[in-house]
Amino acid sequence: MIKVTNFSKQYKGFTAVKKLSFSVEPGQILGLLGPNGAGKTTTLRTLCGIIPPSSGSLLVAGHNVVEEPIAAKRNLGYIPDDPRLFDTMTVWEHLAFMAAAYRLADFEKDAEALLTSFELTHKRDTLVHNLSRGMRQKVAIACAFLHDPKVILFDEPLTGLDPQGIRGIQQAIRERAQAGAAIIISSHLLSLFENLCTHIMVLNLGECRRFGTMEDLLSEVGHSDSTSALEEVYFSITQAQEQTSETAAA
Amino acid sequence: MDPALRQLLILRLRGGLRQRLLQLASVRGLLFSLAFGAIVWFLIASNSSAGAGLFGSAVLDRQAFGEQIMTFMPLSMLGLSLLTVVMTTGPTFHFSPNEINFLFTGPFRRRDLIVYKFGAYVAGVALTSAFITIIAPPQTGSALSVFMASLLTLVFVQLNSAVISMSGHALDGTRLAKVKWPVIALLGAVAAVAVVFAWAAPDRGIFDLLSEFRHSWLGTIVLIPYIVFAELFVATSISQLALWALIAVIINVALLRAAIILDERTTDRSLAENARLSNRWERIKQGGSFFATERTEVRSIRRAPIVGGLGPIAWRQALNALRNSFKIIIIFTGLAACIAPISLALGAPVTDAYTVMIIYVFFAFILPRNLVCDFRGDLSRMEIYKTLPIAPWRICAGQLVVQVLLAYVIALTIIASALVFENSVTTQVALALAAFALPLTLLIYAVENTVHLLFPIKLVAMGRADFEFLGRAIVEFIAKTIFVFAAMAASGAVGLVTFKMTGTTLVLPGFASWLTLTLIGFLTLVALQYAFRRFAVAETIE
Repeated sequence: MIKVTNFSKQYKGFTAVKKLSFSVEPGQILGLLGPNGAGKTTTLRTLCGIIPPSSGSLLVAGHNVVEEPIAAKRNLGYIPDDPRLFDTMTVWEHLAFMAAAYRLADFEKDAEALLTSFELTHKRDTLVHNLSRGMRQKVAIACAFLHDPKVILFDEPLTGLDPQGIRGIQQAIRERAQAGAAIIISSHLLSLFENLCTHIMVLNLGECRRFGTMEDLLSEVGHSDSTSALEEVYFSITQAQEQTSETAAA
Repeated sequence: MDPALRQLLILRLRGGLRQRLLQLASVRGLLFSLAFGAIVWFLIASNSSAGAGLFGSAVLDRQAFGEQIMTFMPLSMLGLSLLTVVMTTGPTFHFSPNEINFLFTGPFRRRDLIVYKFGAYVAGVALTSAFITIIAPPQTGSALSVFMASLLTLVFVQLNSAVISMSGHALDGTRLAKVKWPVIALLGAVAAVAVVFAWAAPDRGIFDLLSEFRHSWLGTIVLIPYIVFAELFVATSISQLALWALIAVIINVALLRAAIILDERTTDRSLAENARLSNRWERIKQGGSFFATERTEVRSIRRAPIVGGLGPIAWRQALNALRNSFKIIIIFTGLAACIAPISLALGAPVTDAYTVMIIYVFFAFILPRNLVCDFRGDLSRMEIYKTLPIAPWRICAGQLVVQVLLAYVIALTIIASALVFENSVTTQVALALAAFALPLTLLIYAVENTVHLLFPIKLVAMGRADFEFLGRAIVEFIAKTIFVFAAMAASGAVGLVTFKMTGTTLVLPGFASWLTLTLIGFLTLVALQYAFRRFAVAETIE
């Protein structure tokens, strides 16, 4: 469903992502893990067509995001870390806007269901600039889910959510994956990966340091507790890199 | 003032100065600042040159200019005060959220905070006054008198507005507050009667009536505090200037004292107002309007039109215009309707080259800066547009539709106003102007948006002395004007060639000319599509 081959991205001489390759199949949830500046958000933004790749091939549901952007985007839902909604539109109007953009003829029933599942029904006529950050995050997720995308990309999906909201979003992600969506989540919350992800990719300085299933990682480190295992993998990779950089500098 | 607050004020002023110097350190900042400087130099040179300068043949001699100031300045200031009363909330002392977090919780008295804020305002006003002094026409008076008069008047305007709105807040819920709207209605009725009388009377215009009121005993009593500031501008000697400046300072000190007393009674309301204003500024920074709806809930529109993907974008901008810019549209339509009668009253008909230039500046510079219903207000939301499965040209067209149509309505209002008030504008001329106004409007906004996407930048200035911002605004306007004039010249040339080829009638050349302008407008849309494709959110947004 998602196939990335030799993807690189450069910004004015700085390499944000270097020769990245991976794939995510339907039903899988890939967690992108890495320190700030590792290239997680760049990867997600390139996959959804916000920024162009410098080289490599990125396929979404079989469509190349550079050559067939419209077809690729039809199958894609993206939830950014800081959703910037249209401040003069209500919650419902955001759903109506997305329905028209994705050319959904009968969206009302699905929209109602999404409002109910995200506990937004009583906020349907509220202008979004009056919503809390967590509420706005829920609106963004509802908008991304409306056209039932085959690929969903989350950038820090739990920011600003209360415990109830976190549980609801996690449940929604799980249900989407069970329904056959391929999902990528970028986050710093290791517990989120533990709860949801089937696969983990650790990025550092734009390069893939480790990619595999959660079971592989657990067996590799020898921990029964997955959060501790992830923590160990994360720190071993990032600290090793820091030491390598310091040695090179010396 | 508390020493810590005084130090904060100095540090902030120094920080502002450092920021301006840093702007000059970059090539772009330096170029735009130089452009701004060049324009200021041009204004000074125009003003100091003998005879017709920037203000053309309409310039007045010093005595006539002084009379105009003595008559109309107090009236304008009274109008401003009445406007503050009519607006439910006015510009009290605005504290930003970080000032509230740091200063309100600090060991400061409320009056110290007000004085600190007042000090910051005076520093800013001093800069504005210096600028006014530079560009003021020579017949205004000496540099010292213009500076003093501007400084004291601007301080008075701020304090007066603050005291009026604070008095309004203090009276909320009392019996007196109920009198407000009947009094406003009465004043409105008097104004309406005066306008109708001026319209009906063949030998008296609205300006004559205003002048008569100003010089009547009633007008003099009502306008006494405002007359002091008009006297400052027309003072002919140092002793006169000193006398009126002393009275103006006394008035301002009294108003500051009143503001401090009133503030103690309206702290809660003041905090709410500050929060509201901060939200508005945040909205403006993201391309919104100061006058946007403050309602929490509205009735949702159930469905958006699709129209091949163009519909939802245009629909979103239509909602934006309705809820964000509705008051702006009304104000600008009203101004557009007044252009012909006002220019006629001032003795400069709309067909006059000078008036045409003013109309162009109004339409192509002032209006686009205030009415923002396109990409310019959506830079922070480009992620959404980039991820939509809609072809870029449709997104671009959808973004422009509402903005162009709204601006076109304002253009039509100007044309209708000219048709009604200007004898030389016939129905045929008005129809031709209306036909050409649409592609011209498309061209203006397509260029405006293309430039904005290619070189994205903030929509509001960072304080009074953001010369880079001001310089850029002027450079953009000049570049846009050159492009628009080139397109109009090309369109005119095609019309001329067609006329030479076909001969007698103007219909075919006119159509050929219109078609050329429309074609150039659509070609600019292609450039806009390129700019949209090229716009990479993470790389270029500031």
